[in-house]
Amino acid sequence: MSGNTSPIRGSDLGFKMTRRELFIGAAGLAGAGALLAACGGDKAVGPLSFGARTVDESPTKQLKALVAAYEAKTGNSVTYNATESNAFQNNLSQYLQGTPDDAFQWMAGFRMQFFADQGLLVDLSDVWDKIGDQYSESYKIASTGLDGKQYFVPQSWYPWGLHFRKSMLSELGIDPDGIYNWDDFMKMLDGMKSKGLIGFAAGDKGGWEAMGTFDMLNARINGYQYHVDLLAGREKWTDPRTAEVFKYWEMLVPYMNDNVLDLEWDGAMQLLLQRKAGAMLMGSWFGGNFKEQSDADYEDLWIIPFPEINPEHKRDTIDAPIDGYCVAKNGSNNDGGKDFLAFAGDMEGVQAMLDTGVPMTSANKGQDTSSYDAFQTQQLAVMAEAKYITQFLDRDTRPDFAGPVVGPAFQSWFKNPKDVNKILESLQAQWDALPPL
Amino acid sequence: MTPLRDSQVLKDRAISIFIGAFAMLWVFPILWTLWSSFRPYKEIRARGTFSMPEEFGIFNYTDAISRMQLPTYLWNSFIITIPAVFLTLVFGSLIAFVVSRYSFKFNVGMLLLFTAGNLLPAQLVFIPVFKLYLNIGDVVGDRRFLYDSPWGVVLIHVAFQMGFATFVLSSYMKTIPKEISESALVDGASVLRHYWNVMLPLLRPPLASLAVLMTTWIYNDFFWALVLMSTDKKRPITSALGRLQGEFVTDYNLLAAGAIIAALPTLIVFFVLRKQFVSGLTLGSTKG
Repeated sequence: MSGNTSPIRGSDLGFKMTRRELFIGAAGLAGAGALLAACGGDKAVGPLSFGARTVDESPTKQLKALVAAYEAKTGNSVTYNATESNAFQNNLSQYLQGTPDDAFQWMAGFRMQFFADQGLLVDLSDVWDKIGDQYSESYKIASTGLDGKQYFVPQSWYPWGLHFRKSMLSELGIDPDGIYNWDDFMKMLDGMKSKGLIGFAAGDKGGWEAMGTFDMLNARINGYQYHVDLLAGREKWTDPRTAEVFKYWEMLVPYMNDNVLDLEWDGAMQLLLQRKAGAMLMGSWFGGNFKEQSDADYEDLWIIPFPEINPEHKRDTIDAPIDGYCVAKNGSNNDGGKDFLAFAGDMEGVQAMLDTGVPMTSANKGQDTSSYDAFQTQQLAVMAEAKYITQFLDRDTRPDFAGPVVGPAFQSWFKNPKDVNKILESLQAQWDALPPL
Repeated sequence: MTPLRDSQVLKDRAISIFIGAFAMLWVFPILWTLWSSFRPYKEIRARGTFSMPEEFGIFNYTDAISRMQLPTYLWNSFIITIPAVFLTLVFGSLIAFVVSRYSFKFNVGMLLLFTAGNLLPAQLVFIPVFKLYLNIGDVVGDRRFLYDSPWGVVLIHVAFQMGFATFVLSSYMKTIPKEISESALVDGASVLRHYWNVMLPLLRPPLASLAVLMTTWIYNDFFWALVLMSTDKKRPITSALGRLQGEFVTDYNLLAAGAIIAALPTLIVFFVLRKQFVSGLTLGSTKG
């Protein structure tokens, strides 16, 4: 570890969330919005620009509603700049150094801390003073940079879990809630296999899809702390505990489709949609695709936490990436950006987005969850079972490590699982060779 | 028929089959794109890529045109591509003219310099260029002077493509008999007149073929527009193609329709200049 011990603590990478806190959040504090309606919305800040990290139809509708509500309330005009998410992400470093929009959409965790550390983001502590009590502590931790100040306002989240079709499980006579540990899971996979189906649909063409599986296996086998320590470089990839993860992963391979590296995540989803596969570990965002196909498909979709492997760690960790907003230091109107975020983070702004009818699991405590459909309610339940929340591997570790190093390493593991030790050694060597941040 | 001719026929056939097979290989992805562009993604998602079509129509095209905001982005592409191609050809031919028609100490060195510049990968130099643009902007007092401006992208394209244009044009000029230049000089033509009235008319074929190539390259560029611009609404059509791609879900059928639409202008340029293009490629290949 030649000088690579980056100053990242466990609590920076993921964050703790107690069940009670989440329950409070989920239950929704009625009136929180009304109480704080006075927050945000300063006429004096003048026109500003907002950079959206999406051109997709549904989120665009939500964001435009948010902007419209802000304009209506304050009279400040907002220029809306939308960029396709991959292009936006790849170019963020230049974007922030050049002529960025005042406020922009981004992600929590390491990806935010990285840019905050370079002085490219504006300290939002005073925004948090206004809206902080609408969020549980865990969200505040996720919004905090390495220096202890807040640089991020959360918008929404989605959980990673085991997705399947209820009807397919009931054909096998399996109760979804009965799948609790690894043995139950294996029994389900065997059942699928005996019917000639793919047990565990997987795709890793993009290089990032399989990271979710690694996250869950590592957290289940070695626990949350080991997982975040590993990703922060405080534990070694060559540790026998890391190798253990791949032993379990290899047990899943016989149940996977044989073209893992040819499929992107949506190829794996199609297997589930077409009833060719029994289960898939993925983020719940794709519920919309099922709904687009038909309501019946959507109602058939279900999610449970990834099964327990080591009883010591139960099912206490979940990948639940949080999306939100930041203010860019090099923008021309920092105060305008902050003012806009104070509105976006406030229940009033959140409500404007919810009113579009596009489903969203908001980070704000004030969201009325009674309007959730069954699948959304189940997502909340899955989330509630977890004590620790991680952001997903490529958001939890250095960006120059996740994409260029870990992605290809997992892909080469799929090609030859027997090479695991060689792959882990090379992962560790490449981590050690990274320049200090 | 003599046995010699028989073997010639056989050889020709083998070559035809070989070429035919490669032509098929080359045409297949384009035809497949075209075929996919008429089918809805929903059908592919539910029944697989190779399923028989139930719905078939131009719905992806109408959808793509509106989602890509085609007029805006096509216009952006034009105001980047047209000036960039024009300036590249003007400057390229000027340099080629000087280094091939006048002999002075550094003319080979200069040609080498311009050609070598072409070999630098864009990914290597984009950070310095980006910082340079910002610094110039700070000096002028407007950060968007070159950065986030179509002119900045035009300039970088001119800088990058000029090497290749110079190289091609100077090679071509070397095939033009020296006597033409000598008689122009004897008649008292100035340097500019020599360039404008004598050389330029002779350069039409290579200029046309370069114009086709440059248009294609600059029009197809995504990289420079991405790193040197921050406002998506100013970016060219290659960026608009990204608008058809979701963060998680990509409708490949819609994307296929968008790709076909985006490819049309370069095809049009090619067909307009086709005759010159072919003659430009072969001219200079034989002397006599």
